[in-house]
Amino acid sequence: MSGSILLALAYVLLAVFVVAAVLRTVRIARLPVHLRWELAPVPKEKTRGRYGGSYLEAYEWWKQPREESVVAELLYMLEEILFLKALWKHQRRLWWWSFPFHVGLYLLAVAVGLTLVEGALAAAGVLSPAWSALIHGLPWLAGAAYVLGAVGAVGLLVSRLARPSLRALTTPVALFNLVLLLAVFVSGAVTVWSVSDLPARAAGLAHALLTATPPHGLPAALTTHVVLSLVFLAYLPFSQMMHFVAKYFTYHQVRWDDEPLVVGSRLEQEVQELLKQPVTWSAPHLNADGVKNWVDVATEEVER
Amino acid sequence: MTRRVRVHDIGKRGDEVLSPVSLQDLPPLPPPYDKMDEQPVWKEIKPEARERMVCNLDGVVALSLPQPETEEEKQAYVDRFEAGLKKLFTRENNWTFLQPLLLSTDYCVACQTCNDACPIYTMSGRNDIYRPTYRAEVLRRLARKYARPGGKLRAKVTGEDIELNWATVTRLYELAYRCTMCRRCAQACPIGVDNGLITHELRKLFSQELGWAPKELHEKGTMLQLQVGSSTGMNPVVVKDNVEFIDDDMSEETELEVHSPFDKEEADLLLIHNAGEMLAWPENPGAFAIVLNAAGIDWTLSSDEVGYDGVNYGLFYDDFQLARIALRHAQTAKKLKVNKIVMGECGHQHKALMTIADRVLTGDLSVHRESCMPLLEEIVFSGKIEFDPSKNDFPVTLHDPCNIVRNLGIVEPQRRILRYLCPQFREMTPHGVDNYCCGGGSGFAVMSPNNFTDWRVSVAGRMKFKQILDAFADQPGPEVKKYVCAPCSNCKGQMRDMLDYYGALEKSGITYGGLVELIVNAMVDVKEPFIKWEMH
Repeated sequence: MSGSILLALAYVLLAVFVVAAVLRTVRIARLPVHLRWELAPVPKEKTRGRYGGSYLEAYEWWKQPREESVVAELLYMLEEILFLKALWKHQRRLWWWSFPFHVGLYLLAVAVGLTLVEGALAAAGVLSPAWSALIHGLPWLAGAAYVLGAVGAVGLLVSRLARPSLRALTTPVALFNLVLLLAVFVSGAVTVWSVSDLPARAAGLAHALLTATPPHGLPAALTTHVVLSLVFLAYLPFSQMMHFVAKYFTYHQVRWDDEPLVVGSRLEQEVQELLKQPVTWSAPHLNADGVKNWVDVATEEVER
Repeated sequence: MTRRVRVHDIGKRGDEVLSPVSLQDLPPLPPPYDKMDEQPVWKEIKPEARERMVCNLDGVVALSLPQPETEEEKQAYVDRFEAGLKKLFTRENNWTFLQPLLLSTDYCVACQTCNDACPIYTMSGRNDIYRPTYRAEVLRRLARKYARPGGKLRAKVTGEDIELNWATVTRLYELAYRCTMCRRCAQACPIGVDNGLITHELRKLFSQELGWAPKELHEKGTMLQLQVGSSTGMNPVVVKDNVEFIDDDMSEETELEVHSPFDKEEADLLLIHNAGEMLAWPENPGAFAIVLNAAGIDWTLSSDEVGYDGVNYGLFYDDFQLARIALRHAQTAKKLKVNKIVMGECGHQHKALMTIADRVLTGDLSVHRESCMPLLEEIVFSGKIEFDPSKNDFPVTLHDPCNIVRNLGIVEPQRRILRYLCPQFREMTPHGVDNYCCGGGSGFAVMSPNNFTDWRVSVAGRMKFKQILDAFADQPGPEVKKYVCAPCSNCKGQMRDMLDYYGALEKSGITYGGLVELIVNAMVDVKEPFIKWEMH
C-alpha cells in the first residue's frame, strides 16, 4: 500500500471514529432527564457508602447536610475501570480472560499515546534524550499489550463458544468483535516480533500522520497492523464495545443519580418542560389523544 | 430443564409451552423440606382452561390472558405491540425512562454475569427463559428490528432475526411477570445494564399501549384505588371504622389508651400505611399508633380517598397510574398542611413516593417525604419510651425489602433498632443491599391466579425461604419460636404464603411480622406479649 493511500485511509477512518464516537456520546448525554432510578451502593455517600446506605437513612434528611466524598467515588471508579471489580466479584471465571483483554487495550492506548507524543515532539524538534530513552521501551509496552490482549481475546472467544450458558446468548456480532480485536492484537504482536526498529518506525508514522506527510517504506507487518487498528477504531462507535462510554452514564446518571428535586431548580424546570409533551399511548385507561400532555393525563379523574 | 431455549424460539410453535418448569427441576431445600414428594403438588391447568387462556411460556399462568377468537384479532394485538415498541423509544412518550432504557438495550455485552445474581433463574434449576438476559435480548432484538430504520435488513445480516407474532407477544407478556424487578442483576452488571428496568419497560408497553396488565395490579389495584380510595376496596368511612376498631382492640390488648388521629391539620407528619395492613395485619398500624403516641409525636392519618392507602402498584407497570396516585398522596399532605409524609412499613410505597415520583411532584406538591425507619430509630433511641430487650429474647432475623434497601439505601436504621431490642438478632446471608428478594416483589405477592402461587412460592421465593432456614439453622426445631422481621407489606404477604405453604410454623417454629411490632413487644409499658406466635 502506498504511503499516500495509507495516510488518506487513516484520516478517513480516524474521522469516522471521532465523529461517530462524539455523536453517539452526545446523543446519550442529551437524552431527557429521567425519573429517579438509583441503586445502592452509591459510593459518593461519605460514611454510609461503605455498606450501601444513602442520605435517606437520616431523620428528616432534607434538614441534614449532604456528606459526599469525591475520593470514595473516584476510588470506586478506579477499581472498576482498572481491575474490573464487578466482574471479579460476580463472575471470576470470566474475569481471568476479560482482565488481560482489557489491560491489553489500556496498554495499547498508552503505547499509541506515547507514540503520538513522540511524533509531535519530533515535529516540533524538541526531543530530549530522556524521552528518547523512554520511547525505546515502547516494544516492551506494546508487546505486553498485544500478548495480554490476544490471550484475553482467545480466552473470551473460547468461553463464548464452549460454555453453554454463554454460547446460548452470544451473537455472531459479538464473535466478530472479538475476532477483529484478536486480529489487531496478533498483527501487533507479529509487528513487534518482526520489525527491529519499531520505536523509530512508529514515531515516523506518528510524525507522518501529524504533519500530513505520506510515510514510505513501512514494513508490511506494521502496515497491516495499522490498517486493522484503524478499521477497528472506525467500527468501534457503531458497536456495543462503546460500553466504556455508556458505563459513565449508567453509573453517574442512573445508578448514582439520587439528586432530589428542589423547587425552583433547573431540574424542576427541565421536568416541567417534559411534562408538557403530548402523549400518544393508546390504552383506554389513559384516554390520551395525542393532544393532551403528561400533566393532563396524570391529573385526569378516572372513570368511576 | 430439558433443553436449551434460543432467543428466536420465543416466536415459534406458539401453541406449545416454550420451556416448562416443574418441581423436579428445583434445587433441594434444607431438611425437613428436602423431600420433593412431601412438597405441595402444583395446581394443574386443565386442558379446557388452556383452550380458554394463553398458556405457552412455562406452564404457569399469571395473567389469564384470554385466547382471541380470530387470527385478525391476534394480528391486531401484534400490530399494537409494534406501535407501542416504537413509542417506548421516543422522547415524548417515554422521557421518564428513555435514557436508562437505551443504555440497557444498546450496551449489554451478553457476559451473563447477571444470571447468577437472579434468585429466580438459579432456583428454577437454571431455566433459560428466566435468565435476566433472555427477556432483555428478546426486547433488544425486537426493538432493533421493528423500531429502528433499516432494522429488518440488519436483523438478517447479523443473524439476530426474531419474529414478532402472537406467540412472541404473549410469551413476552407472561415473561414480564417472571421477574420481581429486585434489580439484583443490575447490581451485578459490570456495565450497569439494568434488566430489571427492561421488565419494567415491557410491562409498561403492555399496559400503556395494549391495556394489558394483571387484574390484581390494574382493575383491582390502581383503578380501584383511584375510584374508591384503596386497592383493598375500603372507602373512607370503612377505613375510619376499621382504624377505630383496631384502636379499641389494641387498647384492650395493651391496657394503654390507643388512638389514631384522622385529618388533623398542621400535624407534624402524615402517616400513610399500606391499607392492606389494616385488614391483614392490623397489629402493625396499631403498633405504629402505640409507638407514635408514647413518643409524643404530632401525627395524623388521612381519610381522603387514596390518602389513606400508600399502595401504588403503578410503580410496577404503568407510569401514568404511578403519577396519578403519587399526586393524590402529595395533594392530601398539602391539604392537611403537614410538614412531611412518612411511609409506613411498605417497600414499594417507599420507592414510589420517595424517589420514583420525586421528579413528578413539582411546585407546591414537592412535599417532604421520609421512611418510617429513621423516624422509628429516632424514637427508639430518644429515651422517651422505656424498653426491656429481654422481652424480645427469641431468634430474630431481618428480611431486607428490595425497595427500601437496595433501591433506596435505607440499610442501618432498622438494624440499629434490632441490635438494641432483640438480643438474638442474626443476619441472613447475604443481607443489606445484597439481599435476595422475598419472591413477592413487583406485585407478585397480591397475584394468585391459576398455579401462579405455586410458582411464586416454590421458585421466586425459594432462595428467601432457604435463607430464612439457614439463618435459624442453630435452632431448627419447632420448640424454639423464631421471628422473621419483614418491614414491608408485600414481603409479608409473600412470607405468609411461603411459610404457610411449607408449614414452617409447625415444622420449624417460624413466624413473621413487621418491625414496629417488635418495638411494641419490648416496651415496658406493654405488659402482655404483643407478638403472637401464630400464622396470620
